[in-house]
Amino acid sequence: MKKLYSNKWVIFTLVLPGVLVFLFAILAPICLSVYYGFTDYSGMGEARFVGLDNYVKLFHDPAFGRSLLNSLLLAIGFICIQHPLAMIVAAVLDKLQGKAEGVFRCIYFIPNVISVAVIAYLWKFIYNPDFGLLNNVLKVFGFEGQVNWLSQENAIWSVLVVLIWHGFGWGMLIYYTGIKNIDPVLYEAASIDGAGWWTTFSRITLPLMKPVIMINVTMAIISALKQMETVYLLTNGGPANSTQFAANYLYQQAFKAFKYGYGNAIGVVFIIICVAVTVLLNTVFRDKQEA
Amino acid sequence: MKKKLIAALLVAAMSVSVLAGCGDSKKESTKTGSDNKTSASADAKGDKADDKEDDKSGDDTASGEDVTLKLFSNLPDRKNGQGLVEQMIIDEYMEANPNVKIEVEALDEEAYKTKFKAYAMDGMPDVVSIWGQPSFLDEVLDAGVLAELNEGDYADYKFISGSLEGFKKDGKLYGLPRNTDIMLIYYNQKMFEDNSWEVPSTYEDLMTLCGTIKDAGITPIAMDGGDGWPMACFLTDLLVKVAGTEHSNIISNAISTGDFSAPELKTATQLLVDSAAAGMFQTGYDSQDYGTTQNLFTNGQAAMYCMGSWDSSMALNEDISEEIRTNIRAFTMPVVKDGKGGANDIAAWNGGGYAVSANSAVKDEAIKFLNFMYQPDKLSKYGWENGVGMSAQDQSEYMTGNETELQKQIIEILNKATSVSGTPINDCGPSAFKTAIESEIQGVSNGSTSVDDFLTTIGAACK
Repeated sequence: MKKLYSNKWVIFTLVLPGVLVFLFAILAPICLSVYYGFTDYSGMGEARFVGLDNYVKLFHDPAFGRSLLNSLLLAIGFICIQHPLAMIVAAVLDKLQGKAEGVFRCIYFIPNVISVAVIAYLWKFIYNPDFGLLNNVLKVFGFEGQVNWLSQENAIWSVLVVLIWHGFGWGMLIYYTGIKNIDPVLYEAASIDGAGWWTTFSRITLPLMKPVIMINVTMAIISALKQMETVYLLTNGGPANSTQFAANYLYQQAFKAFKYGYGNAIGVVFIIICVAVTVLLNTVFRDKQEA
Repeated sequence: MKKKLIAALLVAAMSVSVLAGCGDSKKESTKTGSDNKTSASADAKGDKADDKEDDKSGDDTASGEDVTLKLFSNLPDRKNGQGLVEQMIIDEYMEANPNVKIEVEALDEEAYKTKFKAYAMDGMPDVVSIWGQPSFLDEVLDAGVLAELNEGDYADYKFISGSLEGFKKDGKLYGLPRNTDIMLIYYNQKMFEDNSWEVPSTYEDLMTLCGTIKDAGITPIAMDGGDGWPMACFLTDLLVKVAGTEHSNIISNAISTGDFSAPELKTATQLLVDSAAAGMFQTGYDSQDYGTTQNLFTNGQAAMYCMGSWDSSMALNEDISEEIRTNIRAFTMPVVKDGKGGANDIAAWNGGGYAVSANSAVKDEAIKFLNFMYQPDKLSKYGWENGVGMSAQDQSEYMTGNETELQKQIIEILNKATSVSGTPINDCGPSAFKTAIESEIQGVSNGSTSVDDFLTTIGAACK
């Protein structure tokens, strides 16, 4: 077998599909995007070269600024709300043992299994001011009047709740697997030494979970940047761009406003931001690891 | 030796799998086409079969060989309203021409427009739905993807005068209009009578009435603000009442210069803002979609519903309770104080329609089918019988006397009209303007953007 893998033809054919996919499905579209980003192409007909016009416009576009701010809010929401909760739930699940462990693990993971379209419509109904679940629950507690959960001021928070809730299962599952990989002998030794639950969690669980936390945080930030489908189906960026996210805005500009060139410029800036954030995170985490 | 053999096998397997991925679906679709030659039912499905396969069948049309026509429609509901009418005509055509198979791909308006663009880049279906409005048609015609039609062929088709104008460019005709759309405020007559509410004759009366209805715990007007365009149509209606017949000049000037500071535009927008602030629409109107909004009205939770005449098929929709559907009536936007528009200056236009793809391999058959659809006793007649509103052709000879009260009201509104607005404001400019106004109108109506900022922003989108 070893000899087989040293055969250059075998190596070539094993690597080729991946290289081809990368070349034609990732690199070529990015190059095309860079090209179209310098044109006023409408998606049909001729494309005219307009230099940096699209990029200049983009940096003065309040809707794009808003969409980046919303991505940042979502990333903060993921890191400060979703992940601590997911980690605590994972730690508690680990302690549950027995049947309950499996049952609760399933329950917490259910939102991830349901299709995004169903989730979006489900929450649309929950948030509806007239017949929605939330307002009816409030009514039971004696609250008069209708809360407009998707108003211009509230919409972004309502959307964040849905996104944080929807992604919770994944985060929890990864933390849960991380915790399961920790050697139980360490916990036994700690308990013999008389360590309480907090000491065990902060001195054993947390430090040994570092690599998992790093992966989860990186994935959370990238998914915050890439957010599109839930927002598209839930609010489509509205009212008045208050829940706009970069990917959704790109879609609207390229395919609804027929500004394909501008849409590609958004795409290019978007790629640069994603790559920069990933590099930054890697550097930060590498430094920490070394430290 | 054995290892070399394994290596060679691995290389071969990998090459096959890579090449298989680059395979062509043409062969398969050719087979499908011929297999279905006797099929008389059109499937509403996303068929991506290659055009080239139809080349052959198209060339053989004259000899009665099999032809597959692809129709790309924006009417996904094939059981009600306009989708039903379209499907009836398709079925009839296939019955009359057994060698023709029509495959329908139908998507909702927004998804439709997106996919239309993708098709425009790489092979359009043969017959497509289009909109005779600059926001949609300008870029499409610039790209040259639609076939030119011979206007002379339609002299006997009884098109209402002026209805073809939106589908022309440089005097050449590229599509045919399907409807005459009128902006209406539907109301629940029984609810009005039970509460002794009167149909308002001025906008001030409408505001007062909405206050009364709101106090009674009912939503005054159900408004689909989540989509943006119904509010833009509402704004057009207000502008017609404020500026009268001058409004179209005001809009076209504003769009060509990007300057929306005309006082009439400000007044109309301010009226919209004041109405929304006074609670004329349901809570959360700016984030609710078409279906949710219509349901508010058809479930009796809203007294009125602002939408175009295409929704008049509600009166025949058996999914709506009889008590409500038989009591749906409509009125047009009431006159505004000091406005130049009269009660009979209405917001109406010829919007949607059909066209044939310029590169269709079966263009002749596609045009033949298009002409079949527009024979006066087809779209017009069936549309009328199914209560889907006014067609762009003269429908007077199809009156049966059994029309719903709502249909009679709409005919009366159209007959009495002293002027019609033409294309609503959001569709008058390029599509970038359309996207901007449909998003920004949410912000201005809910008070988070000032009227001046709104007008400046939509002006910038025209430049």
